[in-house]
Amino acid sequence: MRTFPAWWLPPGLPGDGPSLDASLSVDGRAPTSTVSVGDSLRLRFPTPDPAFARRVCDRLAEAGACLRERRTDALVASLGRAGARFLDPADPLRKAALDLLPAAAGLSPAMAREVLNGMARDWTADRLTRLVRAQFADPGVLDGFRPGPGGSRVRAFGRRLIVQLGAGNVAGVSVGGMARALLARSPVLLKPGLHDAVLPVLYARALADCDPELSAAVAVLYWPGGAAAVEAEVLARAGLVVVYGGGDTVEAVRANLPATTPLVAYAHRVGVALVGREALAGGRAERTALDAARAAATFDQRGCVSPHLFWVEEGGEITPAGWAARLAAAMAEVERDLPAGPSPPEVASQLQQLRGTWELKQAAGDGASVFRPPGLEWTVVYDRDPAFSPSCLGRFVWVKPVPDLEQVAGLLAGLRPFLQTAALCGAGGRAPSLVEQLGGVGVSRVTSLRRMPWPPAWWHHDGDDPLRGLVRWVDWEVE
Amino acid sequence: MNDQRLRDDLIAVMGAGVATPLPDAGFDDLARRVSEHQWQTNPVFARFCAARGVQPGSWSSWRALPPVPARAFRERGLVSRGPCEAIFRTSGTTGGGTVRGEHRVPDLSLYHASLLPNFEAHLLPDGARLPMVSLIPPPREVPDSSLSHMIGVVQDELAPDTGYFVGGDGRMDEAGLRSAFRDAEDAGDPVLVVGTAFAFVHLLDSLAADGIGFRLPAGSRVMETGGFKGRSRPVPREELYEAIHGRLGIPPRRIVNEYGMTELLSQFYEPVLTEGTRLHRPPPWVRTRVLDPATLEALPPGREGLLCHFDLANAGSVCCLLTEDLGVEPPEAEGNGFRVLGRNPGAEPRGCSLAMDDLMTAVRGPAR
Repeated sequence: MRTFPAWWLPPGLPGDGPSLDASLSVDGRAPTSTVSVGDSLRLRFPTPDPAFARRVCDRLAEAGACLRERRTDALVASLGRAGARFLDPADPLRKAALDLLPAAAGLSPAMAREVLNGMARDWTADRLTRLVRAQFADPGVLDGFRPGPGGSRVRAFGRRLIVQLGAGNVAGVSVGGMARALLARSPVLLKPGLHDAVLPVLYARALADCDPELSAAVAVLYWPGGAAAVEAEVLARAGLVVVYGGGDTVEAVRANLPATTPLVAYAHRVGVALVGREALAGGRAERTALDAARAAATFDQRGCVSPHLFWVEEGGEITPAGWAARLAAAMAEVERDLPAGPSPPEVASQLQQLRGTWELKQAAGDGASVFRPPGLEWTVVYDRDPAFSPSCLGRFVWVKPVPDLEQVAGLLAGLRPFLQTAALCGAGGRAPSLVEQLGGVGVSRVTSLRRMPWPPAWWHHDGDDPLRGLVRWVDWEVE
Repeated sequence: MNDQRLRDDLIAVMGAGVATPLPDAGFDDLARRVSEHQWQTNPVFARFCAARGVQPGSWSSWRALPPVPARAFRERGLVSRGPCEAIFRTSGTTGGGTVRGEHRVPDLSLYHASLLPNFEAHLLPDGARLPMVSLIPPPREVPDSSLSHMIGVVQDELAPDTGYFVGGDGRMDEAGLRSAFRDAEDAGDPVLVVGTAFAFVHLLDSLAADGIGFRLPAGSRVMETGGFKGRSRPVPREELYEAIHGRLGIPPRRIVNEYGMTELLSQFYEPVLTEGTRLHRPPPWVRTRVLDPATLEALPPGREGLLCHFDLANAGSVCCLLTEDLGVEPPEAEGNGFRVLGRNPGAEPRGCSLAMDDLMTAVRGPAR
């Protein structure tokens, strides 16, 4: 079993810098602990006490002061240079990422590569530039006061400290958040999700190589759930908190936050897909099924962008049940390219419960069909009842018929707080009105099946501004 | 059950008691006859098994019968069909959703035949006949609770002096309880207290709030069952038992955990009173295996996996039940006991997609 030192601290603190020495202790008191992720990797973390957490926050705030002097184009260049290393096949950091990610994130090596490629694309200078331009009509507001409405001047300031609480294990999500915080001129303390701790640490190393000033404004620090004193210390020092997690996690953070500290919360959400008649015509059905299978397989379905079910329109060249069979074939094909990772026991248990129940329903002759290999790699269930059903994840998807795509918005009613991405294909000229309906019931992103897993860097994640949402505006009203 | 002889044979096995071993050959013979009966009465189950190559004429072993997931009890008409004497419903906690599972029981005599000797062997092994203090609602108030039904049968056959102190609405008669405990204390007569873990937590919290405690007479004992989900604050089992000891005066070695589920007509008890052992023991007419969650292959002792029970008392529905409970067979149990390690083993939710159960709970409202 290998051990990865899964932290990053700004210089001047014990345990700082780019050491990969796993035996490193903090303050010479060996306050580190390890957590196993999977069978082959252990993550080592400093075990912060409240005083240590306070020192980290204060040091970050000091380091962050210099961010205000940096220009956006210089920041983008540095961040982009660090990010691009994860796309360079010869780069040792990319190699380390590819080596560690399968165990750290519970993905197959091929899926880990796919995830890294997809994520790191958004860490390049080109994408970050587009993010800034998409968010600010005049990006100069990040560099200094600019003319505003009514003769006033405005500037976007950073926060004293952004505290980012990561979740789960969609690897790479945390790195995007770090880069956005720095672009917004804020130092950032990341508490990573256990399954997304490797990439932020490697990214901080990349920053240290190309721009030490930036890496000094970054910390990656884990503390176990229930370390309330540490968390309170950190939250009290945050200028803004970004939290990813389930409803309970978000609520707990909200409850512990000073009233004046803004919170950006990304709660868990679901994706769905609508497959219209046009996507079933003229040999398009297979292509559609393959795109659908890749969307479900990516991140082993753990993303909020991952589809739980496919509503397939009746009256096309092939029936929804026929398309389910094609989707199953496509899932098998994708499994060859991008094998599923091992199923965590709780997912395996739910897969067995759902599969067995629906195989009994199939035996009952009520129109259900279960498609699956002998192992747990993927499952497609065709169900005649169009009502929304959630997946248990682990590449388990529902296929349900609808007489007309117009009915899907009604089926999503009641799910508003949980909806995120809807893939829409084969709707032809009906797309604009369908998108209006979907937006109306709470969907915040409509896309194609092919793009479904990969929202661009500038997307309005859960309907929020990714960069504008982090800054603090200062108005200068000039007489 | 139509097959009178099969029923009689099953009841005879149960009537012989939990101390009479049922060798594998005898178990397998009954399992085959029960399965053939189920295939005849439930064509859905017959097709389900046939799709896996298990059908009349191809019986190899009870181990080859495909397990039916507990979740299937949530869907009508899959696990039992036809007329029934009782319908028991799950509390809705299995799987976390609010769709309640339904166990239609065509023949209650098998349930009664299974539960009585097992209860007696583990709670009344000394032949004592004690007043029963029940924190489980009376069966007439919750006719669809298999647990209440069980306590009603125990009352009829083993504990005619039973008082019920929790109603069908879940309300606890605290004054009545305190008076019952005081009477037992005064008379020096031991009692049998039965209840769910969350009812005990509620009781102990209220006693603690008022600074009240009892020393129930020696020979008193407790049957505690069930989890906490959504009903009270969760309390580690050791802590709960210590609190029972502190407030009621019944020591942990006289507290027996019962592990049971609506989907199974047989129960599992810890042989604490007889052997002092904290593991759950199936009666001879039940075989419990620990299965690999990914392959459903049986795991060797010491490995954690999903608990799968083959319960002959379930002749009226399906016998081989795949639970969502994680368990392990300790090597020292030598094939005669297991430990329940709980549900939802993953400590950390993985990924930013919403867990299925959370979503369904959110959409439909919390479980009842």
